Amino acid sequence: MDEKKAAILGEIPRLRRYARSLLRDRDSADDLVQDCLERALVRLDNWQTGESPRRWLFTIMHHLFIDQMRKVNRRGEAAMLPLEAREAQAAPAEQVESIASREIIDALQAISPDRRAALVMVAIEGFSYAEAANILGVPAGTLMSRIARGRDELRGLLDDAARRRAIRIVEK
Amino acid sequence: MTRRDFSERDIHMALDGELPVEERVAYDAWLEANPEMKARSVRYVADRAALRAAFAGVLDEPVPARLKKIVLDEAPVETAASSSRWWRAAAAAAMLAIGGVGGYVAGIDHLGLEDPAEDQLAEQAIAAHVLYAAEQRHAVEVPASDKDHLQTWLSNRVGLKLVAPDLAAQGFQLVGGRLLPAGESKAAMLLYEDANGERISLFVTAESAEKTKGTYGSEEDGPEAIYWLDKGYGCAVVGSLPRAQLTAVAKSAYSQLIAGLAS
Repeated sequence: MDEKKAAILGEIPRLRRYARSLLRDRDSADDLVQDCLERALVRLDNWQTGESPRRWLFTIMHHLFIDQMRKVNRRGEAAMLPLEAREAQAAPAEQVESIASREIIDALQAISPDRRAALVMVAIEGFSYAEAANILGVPAGTLMSRIARGRDELRGLLDDAARRRAIRIVEK
Repeated sequence: MTRRDFSERDIHMALDGELPVEERVAYDAWLEANPEMKARSVRYVADRAALRAAFAGVLDEPVPARLKKIVLDEAPVETAASSSRWWRAAAAAAMLAIGGVGGYVAGIDHLGLEDPAEDQLAEQAIAAHVLYAAEQRHAVEVPASDKDHLQTWLSNRVGLKLVAPDLAAQGFQLVGGRLLPAGESKAAMLLYEDANGERISLFVTAESAEKTKGTYGSEEDGPEAIYWLDKGYGCAVVGSLPRAQLTAVAKSAYSQLIAGLAS
């Protein structure tokens, strides 16, 4: 196996974690990683020697994610089929999460995709502002404001969730 | 060295390791002097720890074989976004988060090699709608005035217990129906019209093994299909109505069709 492929293989766990934080559902996240890997392998020649495989792959995956989110947004409001809401909302059974984890994962899903990506890139994946700005293709100032707003929004959502939980406990 | 004023922005920078080392001492002093900012910082540190903890387990999961295979296989697959199903879930999740009600969105362009069953269904339904809804005199084979016969005939030919939904509450009256080819099998098309002459159609087939649902539009300004498939049947509601209205019609049609199938 050549070095490039070995390097790509080594990045899969990180790509999966990033995808999971963007999409929540395990299968969907792995589908995104799959798209990313397929695209990466077709474009192997575009990968310049010396460029970090992580940054290269994260850039590819981020573009796939954002492109699709924009397309979805352009189509406007979603069709609401409440009959099926519970089903769509249910997390796969194998995803055992603590209440705290579930709440923060839910909250993360509720913030805008741009802010979510920026926050995750820095707070979970540990990229520097410069690296993250480069991967996301935005100026550093934009990245910073997305991170700040993302954190603020996340805090508000977590507070709401905690309040709702408190009310439920009181009602019991 | 000039002491600069710090702000909330610096809390993020400090947290993310972006605050220059030489400013660190002054920043810490500022934080100590501003309890509100200190509390904010402590909170963000805790949230970040929770975020990391929530996703830490992913790194320890075994890498799925299908992902390894892509990298290890010799010939790369020449496709653009071939497996793109993930973003439907993304859209659904986004809408759940925003609306809190639930829903599913499917997008427009599928660049994959093979059309998934629901896209074929949606495309057939849209094609039928475009062709027949535009017809004034020959839109249907059996008119609504002969509704009983229409239901019996289509049920027998399609192989489903088909009840034409009553969509009067949504402002639509049945015009009639026709039988259509759908892949290897047949489909029933029911056409409805409102007082303004706006038409929608229901497209039902007995051929489906997949359980899925979503919306589909083949062109930017063309009609849209809201579809659902389950074992044994597939159905799409097609029209050029505003999304909310089409959804209301689809929901009503859905529950009535399901009730009819089970009767």
